[in-house]
Amino acid sequence: MLILGIDTSCDDTAAAVVEDGRRIISNVVSNQDDIHEKYGGIVPELASRRHIELIWPVVNEAIKRAEVNFRDISAIAVTSGPGLIGSLLVGVCFAKSLSLVNSTPMVAVNHLEGHIHSIFLEANPLFPFVALVVSGGHTSLYRVDDFGLYTELGRTRDDAAGEAYDKVAKLLGFSYPGGPIIDAISAKGDPHSIAFPKANLKGSLDFSFSGLKTSVLNYVKKHPESKKEDIAASFQSAVVGALIDKIVAAVGAEGINRVVLSGGVSANSALRSSMKEKAMSEGIELFLPSLNLCTDNAAMIASAGYYYFKKGELADFTLNPKAYLPIGVKS
Amino acid sequence: MKLLSRSEAETREIGRKLGEKLKSGDVVCLYGELGSGKTTMVQGIASAFGISERDITSASFTIIAEYDAGTPFYHIDLYRVTPGEVPELGLQEYLGSAGISVIEWAERAEGEIPDNSIRVSLNHKEEHSREIEIKGIRINRDA
Repeated sequence: MLILGIDTSCDDTAAAVVEDGRRIISNVVSNQDDIHEKYGGIVPELASRRHIELIWPVVNEAIKRAEVNFRDISAIAVTSGPGLIGSLLVGVCFAKSLSLVNSTPMVAVNHLEGHIHSIFLEANPLFPFVALVVSGGHTSLYRVDDFGLYTELGRTRDDAAGEAYDKVAKLLGFSYPGGPIIDAISAKGDPHSIAFPKANLKGSLDFSFSGLKTSVLNYVKKHPESKKEDIAASFQSAVVGALIDKIVAAVGAEGINRVVLSGGVSANSALRSSMKEKAMSEGIELFLPSLNLCTDNAAMIASAGYYYFKKGELADFTLNPKAYLPIGVKS
Repeated sequence: MKLLSRSEAETREIGRKLGEKLKSGDVVCLYGELGSGKTTMVQGIASAFGISERDITSASFTIIAEYDAGTPFYHIDLYRVTPGEVPELGLQEYLGSAGISVIEWAERAEGEIPDNSIRVSLNHKEEHSREIEIKGIRINRDA
């Protein structure tokens, strides 16, 4: 059974064809170089207009690369939130049109749920497991008991981890997105050179990264001569430490020793290597998606959509996207 | 009016007092550098509308977060928006509505901000204290 996934929740326009929720047949994201070259190098940032320009070429490309026709598609899975509302609208309206024209059923998928599903495209973790979704817009911990069955264990109270990366990169004079740059220059710095505070909200699995960002800002103001590599490495060590501390706490609290990472920040090399070490020492079975499935993509949306389609939970034409949409809530 | 906040909790409390004075259609602009307490202030303002502090997180990524609190509550964060992109956001749909809009980094969209907006500037004093200047509305801190 083939599902067409569509995601326009943020900067990238993405479409994918996935078989039975598990096997990627095609996976197209607008930031990929070949798409850039073909369609004039437009990267959707904030403007939904750029999603409008890219949605047809990207969906067509996904269908073409899968070597299928629209009539081979059993259902369309589309991200209905959370994300930029104008961007989400493009994907949802496009999915509705396709659904109407081809009489193909449509299902709505939460973007965060999609991220958790990335792992099912490559591995088969047993339920239950602890999942961390960590990206530019989100930092949340879940207990996952089955497909579609999530319990939020904790979330950020202020900035997302990826957002802290972007903001720190900017104050160090680097461009957006900041995660990959901080990750790269951190390798040349000493992570123990500056002791930035690692927020620890006691008795809670919530995160907080705003104070850390402010500490870095204050430090840079007081020590303009210090090495950027050391600041970056020390900042990164504080972020990764905070993420891993809460994962380990969640594993302990829930008595579950399986952990799935997902979201753009799970592509961070320091987080991956430190978490692997921690998993070894704590006896945790760790599941890490490949780098291209950590960042936004539509294959993960198609995977999550497959299970809703099988359960018969379809969306109708009244589907409205929501910028703020906690996992488990219908838009 | 100028107020001194000595902690995040005090900033949140000033926000709540401000929120209680707001009425349908009001626009609150927040100015201040990274880490000055803008999102904390939004948490306080939102709490006056029954929105949980935990539900308000940074909106830098999604730019506009909408909450249904009887009156619609719009948390807008223009941090990653360039002035050229502002017209594409459709801000007037929010600012001209009956909802409450609170805008972080409002200086990025100055041309679109109504003249009668409430303006709040947050400035670092020391590590934990902030000077908060409020224009366009009076709040009673002791009430």
